[in-house]
Amino acid sequence: MAARGFQGAVMRGFGARDHVATVVRTSMVTPHMVRIHMSAPTLFENVTVGPTAWLRFWFPDPTGSDREHQRAYTLVSCEPETGEFAVDVVLHEPAGPATVWARRAEPGDEVQVMSFGSSRFAVPDEPPAGYLLVGDPASVPAINGIVAALPDDAEIALYLEKQHEEDELIPLASHPGLRVRWVPRDGETSLAAAIDERDWSNWYAWAATEAGSLKHLRRTLRDRFGFPKADTYAQAYWTYGRAMGSLRRTDEEKATGQAPAVRPAEGEATGQEDVRSGGSASSAQDARTGQEDVRSGGSASVAQDGRVPGRWRSQAAKELLAPVKTAMIVAGVVQGVVTLVQLAPFVLLAELARLLLVGADEDRLWGTAVAFLVVFGAGALLGGALMVWLHVVDARFGARVRHRLLGKLVRLPLGWFTRRGSGAVKKLVQDDTLELHGLVTHAIPDGVAAVVAPVAVLVYLFATDWRLALVLFVPIIVYLFAFAAMMFQSGPKIAEASRWAERMGNESAAFFAGQPVIRMFGGVAASSFRRELESYIGFLDGWQRPFIGRKTFIDLVTRPMTFLWLIMVVGTPMVVSGVMEAATLLPFLLLGTTFGARLLGIGLGMGGVRAGVLAARRIAVVLGEKELAVRPEAAEPEEERGVVRFEGVSFGYRPGKPVIHDVSLTLRPGTVTALVGPSGSGKSTLAGLLARFHDVDSGAVTVGGRDIRAMSGDDLYTRVGFVFQDAQLVHGTVRENIALARPEATTAEIETAARDARIHERILRLPDGYETVLDGDGGLSGGERQRLTIARALLADTPVLVLDEATAFADPESEHLVQQALTRLTRGRTVLVVAHRLHTVVDADQIVVLDHGRVAEAGTHTELIASGGRYRRLWDSRGSVPAKAEVSR
Amino acid sequence: MIRTLVRLVPATDRGKVVGYALLTVVSAILRGVGCLLLVPLLGALFSTVPADALPWLGALTVSVVLVWAVDTAVSRIGFDIGFTLLGTVQRDLTDRLTRIPLGWFTAERTATARQAVAACGPELVGLVANLLTPLLSAVLLPVVIAIGLTGFAWQLGAAAWVAVVGLLAALWATTRITRAADAADTAAHSALTERVLEFARTQQALRAARRVEPARNGAGAAAVAQRGTALRLVLLQIPGQLLFGLAGQVALVALAGAVTLLYLDGGLGAPEAVALVVVAVRFLEPFTVISELAPAIESVRGTLDTLRAILDAPAPPVSAAASAPGRDAPRVEFQGVGFGYGDDEVLRDLSFSLEPGTTTAVVGPSGSGKSTILSLVAGFHEASRGRVLIDGQDVSGLDPATRQRLSSMVFQHPYLFGGTIRDNVLAGDPDAEPAQVAQVMRLAQVDEIVGRLPDGERTDVGEAGAALSGGERQRVSIARALLKLAPILLIDEATSALDTENEAAVAQALSQDVRRRTRVIVAHRLGGIRHADRVLFVEDGAIVEQGTPAELRAAGGRFAEFCRHQEQGEDWRLRSAAPDHDLVLSPDPD
Repeated sequence: MAARGFQGAVMRGFGARDHVATVVRTSMVTPHMVRIHMSAPTLFENVTVGPTAWLRFWFPDPTGSDREHQRAYTLVSCEPETGEFAVDVVLHEPAGPATVWARRAEPGDEVQVMSFGSSRFAVPDEPPAGYLLVGDPASVPAINGIVAALPDDAEIALYLEKQHEEDELIPLASHPGLRVRWVPRDGETSLAAAIDERDWSNWYAWAATEAGSLKHLRRTLRDRFGFPKADTYAQAYWTYGRAMGSLRRTDEEKATGQAPAVRPAEGEATGQEDVRSGGSASSAQDARTGQEDVRSGGSASVAQDGRVPGRWRSQAAKELLAPVKTAMIVAGVVQGVVTLVQLAPFVLLAELARLLLVGADEDRLWGTAVAFLVVFGAGALLGGALMVWLHVVDARFGARVRHRLLGKLVRLPLGWFTRRGSGAVKKLVQDDTLELHGLVTHAIPDGVAAVVAPVAVLVYLFATDWRLALVLFVPIIVYLFAFAAMMFQSGPKIAEASRWAERMGNESAAFFAGQPVIRMFGGVAASSFRRELESYIGFLDGWQRPFIGRKTFIDLVTRPMTFLWLIMVVGTPMVVSGVMEAATLLPFLLLGTTFGARLLGIGLGMGGVRAGVLAARRIAVVLGEKELAVRPEAAEPEEERGVVRFEGVSFGYRPGKPVIHDVSLTLRPGTVTALVGPSGSGKSTLAGLLARFHDVDSGAVTVGGRDIRAMSGDDLYTRVGFVFQDAQLVHGTVRENIALARPEATTAEIETAARDARIHERILRLPDGYETVLDGDGGLSGGERQRLTIARALLADTPVLVLDEATAFADPESEHLVQQALTRLTRGRTVLVVAHRLHTVVDADQIVVLDHGRVAEAGTHTELIASGGRYRRLWDSRGSVPAKAEVSR
Repeated sequence: MIRTLVRLVPATDRGKVVGYALLTVVSAILRGVGCLLLVPLLGALFSTVPADALPWLGALTVSVVLVWAVDTAVSRIGFDIGFTLLGTVQRDLTDRLTRIPLGWFTAERTATARQAVAACGPELVGLVANLLTPLLSAVLLPVVIAIGLTGFAWQLGAAAWVAVVGLLAALWATTRITRAADAADTAAHSALTERVLEFARTQQALRAARRVEPARNGAGAAAVAQRGTALRLVLLQIPGQLLFGLAGQVALVALAGAVTLLYLDGGLGAPEAVALVVVAVRFLEPFTVISELAPAIESVRGTLDTLRAILDAPAPPVSAAASAPGRDAPRVEFQGVGFGYGDDEVLRDLSFSLEPGTTTAVVGPSGSGKSTILSLVAGFHEASRGRVLIDGQDVSGLDPATRQRLSSMVFQHPYLFGGTIRDNVLAGDPDAEPAQVAQVMRLAQVDEIVGRLPDGERTDVGEAGAALSGGERQRVSIARALLKLAPILLIDEATSALDTENEAAVAQALSQDVRRRTRVIVAHRLGGIRHADRVLFVEDGAIVEQGTPAELRAAGGRFAEFCRHQEQGEDWRLRSAAPDHDLVLSPDPD
């Protein structure tokens, strides 16, 4: 134990367990880096390995003493089943304990290792615009882990400090979006100075380098580019020339004091850089790389040219909350005062008791008692007033947020809704606004009260008698240590528990959804859930049961009774021996006993604030989404009303990932154009562009010669109508639903539309006929709802119609009615139809075959069959593969 | 709440509950004594001879040590009960759930029950130790102190008893007021949310109809209205938030006042008076604990209510039938059967009989109650009127195992469990011979899927079968149903258009199945009807036509019309037509 010093003792106390790792083989990655493969069968029993996870090794002292030095290394590879793993060790000169050991390591050598307090990189829930990774040879294993974990469409900018020419030999993970730059080290500032001058808005920064470089890097990222704390991870992996004295991970140290801070110069100090493109770089990426390579020449000029720092989503909450910032500050201050006033009675009570002891006269007693009552009343009044005022502030603020949200929903592309699903919108509108309400009205005052109360008590008690006040810390320290030990021991279990919770959620959903199947097929079908449940219970039991004793202990230690006893045990001898006046005990007995509970409440009180700020951020992010804009129109000659042109249209849901490539099409009035192709070919996306679900990235969609982006929404939708699979009914009567676009339509017109849509008879059978109020789905079948929306489209009578031929997906018994209604609807219009079954569109005037967002071929059925291309193949395989793909949607 | 909890504890562990309760009372008494020891201790300390306090300090120490010992035991028993609950409750619920009739599972109940089955474990583990123990001791401690104070001076005792009653009443009132205010607040908020969500959900329709602005104003108006409501609610909420705090302060004033008056009357020495003030503050502390526990108690109460609802749900009594139907294809008979989900009547007075070994197609418009007929045969639901008989035995009188043995079913939304394709097929009959498995796979055209996949029948179907397409899931579920050795085969055909392999699979399941069974298919397409001996045409929960397919077609009624529409639909094409043309139904054959 002594060999490891205080650090070792602390970790042992926290329950870290030693394992023996045996070297299996070693290989040189570069002349300055060795990869050591080891085996420790028991090491991964209780560990979940993820990107950047590291191990702590205890290396023998090179001088031969019995001391052991702790160094942490990132896992390069790992087989938890067998306990085989590998780490890369950078060999430093002069050598520290790890370097000395690694240089000599041979198969069969043993070293002590523990997996304690390792952190893992997790891909953020909401993908950032890109990942800025900064490191050096020592952090390459961690960086490779991160790169491997990132999705293929992520953009990654990687800067690596080059300390030796051979460093570039270190293998890097490949990734289609990875751009690598090696920066030769030229002192502590060279790496930070090499970061591109650009707008890093919404990027995530991960930096792990030598401590000196990191200091400058951290400053550059924060001050120069504006990276907020929430989007930055910065960690020193090692230090030039001295040991890192902390308990945190240290990749390598120099023998203390003797290592020069100068690095071997190899002529690369001129600042030239190498640009390497990782993975399969497309030409576009090369172009971008070249462009971005234009950078400021040296570190001196960097500080001067002022650039606007980027904007981050994580900061959006601040902007949203700006209108109530002043009110929040005032509320915090007032709540602070209220908290103090609420504590004052106890002070007065102590005073009253003191007066009793000294035998003060009745008048003084009454005076104190009156003050006692006044303070009580004042506290209650002030608290109540604050609450009312906060609710008024919140009502105004909440109304404003909702107003903005409503305004925003109207201007968002329709595709925003289809891509999100109703659950996400519901969370935003319902849960997040409620959370925001909680933040303004409760979380901030609660948080302030939770902090102010224990601090005030502490100050008061210290002022009364600092010796006795110190005693109060004994249970707190015991608590903190016991709690921290528990947290450390269950560290990976906590993540595992949340994974289990998610898994059990899915499993039980399956168990309920599968109830009919379980009842029909019995035991075998049900056993999957039972099995999962057993292992979940086993996990919880194995995790929590060992903590029973410690939890009980923690509970007993922080009880008021324990505090009371401590105060008396220490205070009584002090009073007896005359060191302290007896009356000094009173404040402690009145306020000190609950001090522990108050202090532990801080964390709880701040939890509400955190949740509220996260909700505010989500709302603010939506408010910041890109809107559909009406752009000024270039005077263009009007074409026939119903002519639609796609002119070189490209579009992608994410920048740089087009789904539609350069599509040009002309749709003439009175013709049907069918979009066909396998699912994922972009046919629904392309059709949606005409209805302006999204705006095109390049090219244009025109209707009657006018760019649809130059039209207002009302303008566009008097020309373009659409009927899609999800028939949307609004809350209102059947009549209102049909006449949605033309509220002034006569009864005769409405009924004609309903007749044409083959829904009139059905409406008459509803309880109140046309006056029946439809709430949600309104008891209508899928086919009936579809026909109702067709009636609506008939009445709206737009010259252009976008259609989803989805008759096969709802209600086969009324399929023929939907078909008849569609036949009536499409008459005499410009029709663009997304076709799911080839045989329904063989008579279309134009069939457009899409493949990966490009027009593969176009023509009539006869022409396309004759040309023997892709359409011919689709037609021949009809009924098997493509149709199946559709059914699975 | 406590009653539900006790009910959840297995009978063998009830002894622990008794021990727990006794020790909790002992602990409260010891703590009360410890607290009351402050009176002589402080009395001595504040007197002229402070050294007299030392024996009392010893007594206090002894009581604290005893409390620690007792509470350690209480905590251990508490956790022990917690882990027992963890080990049994979720399992028991799971077993119970499979016996509750499917009709019980409304969307709301399913959601809460799902949550409870998946996640009540962690909550139950700490329930006793973290919630019940502090709650009980916080209630008992003031009572013990009040008794002690009564013995000391009756005036003080009276004040303490009034405080206990007053504070508990205030707590109760606070809970009630807060609950009411929260409910009103939630209602107001959800009304608004409803409007905004609808506004978001129907954006396509609203924009296409150029009605975005008026609807937006509508939702905006709702927002303004809600603002008014919210402000009124504050006035309702604030009393709830202030009441308890106020009551606590009044109680403190009353106790301190009683002590002061006793002192002024000369009935009490100054040191004792001061000691009593300290005891009064300690007396009030537990009430704060109770109010802090309140939200957690509310949440646990919700969970326990859900658990109780599941435990109280009707599980039909099992009465072994005199003679269970055999393995041969039985006669299935409906006698004046009526059925409804809640107030929705789905089937009205249905009577028909299916002869052994025949195939019957149930046809009719969507929502006419076709699938419900299958559920009644399978015994998933019980008829609310009339009887469903299998070989003369009432289905509702059969025990679950017999019912399960009698029928096999292909569900409309086939549900597969995690595992391989083969595992899922074998769920039909785990002991089936390989040759039989191969045969049903061929009949259901699963061999085509298996042949295409690199891992063949060892392919994992993913969570809920998500790795397969809808049509593929359907075929696996047909194979599963065919493998089961049940004398009744029920098929609920998928409504969505399927590929040719699926239609073939359904047709072969009906025509080439080697086992003699009584078969019923809910058919949406002609393919499923072709192999039927009989057709039942169902509309609005009643049979409007029945007979052989040929008879009914010839009769020219609803079934004939259905067939005609199907044939037309299969040839339907979308095409342009001049505006002046009449309706074109494109009847020309391919």
